Amino acid sequence: MKLYETTVIFEPGLEEARINEEVERITQPITQAGGEVVDVQRWGKKKLAYNIRKRRDGTYIHVKHKSPATLIGEMDRRFRLNESVLRHLTILAPKESPRAIEEAAKAEEAAKAESASKAAAATTEAATEPAGEATPE
Amino acid sequence: MARDGESRSFRRKFCKLCFDKVERIDYKDDRRLSRFITDRGKIVPRRISGTCARHQAQITEAVKRARILALLPFTSDQYR
Repeated sequence: MKLYETTVIFEPGLEEARINEEVERITQPITQAGGEVVDVQRWGKKKLAYNIRKRRDGTYIHVKHKSPATLIGEMDRRFRLNESVLRHLTILAPKESPRAIEEAAKAEEAAKAESASKAAAATTEAATEPAGEATPE
Repeated sequence: MARDGESRSFRRKFCKLCFDKVERIDYKDDRRLSRFITDRGKIVPRRISGTCARHQAQITEAVKRARILALLPFTSDQYR
């Protein structure tokens, strides 16, 4: 299963409860189909860069999820049928680039090394004399 | 004395995104993307902005996605 990002723009006039319901309607099929909802962001009411169906604002919902590929088409169909959806977009979430992964690993290593050196400093401080015995030949 | 055309101080263009060490441009980051569109909403070409090929390709994709989500305009309305 691949990682997707789905952003949906709802009508601006929907109440809180209705939006919760809509979010539920997005996330529920994902988990039901054996997917996983990674993150749900509510950007709230935002001004649109241009009018959509004569609306100037929209309520944005952004969902990161792992879903089977077959669900994406179904999701798209449902959004198009849903009258309160102004716009929707699902994209493949960008893969972590090798460099980013490398950097993250490096940062982790550095953090580990730092804590290790700190620990080492603490031990050498505690016992300066015994440290001399451990020197290699 | 330098002639008119040459008197302008010449400064080499550089990729601002490489300078900022941007790994990936996000279509949700409309503030950053708005620097790469004209006031009419067009994508600024590389020869103007000096963006490198890799980043320009990312900008293009991101701007197009942002337009779909009405984060950026397809065109500016004021000239209608």
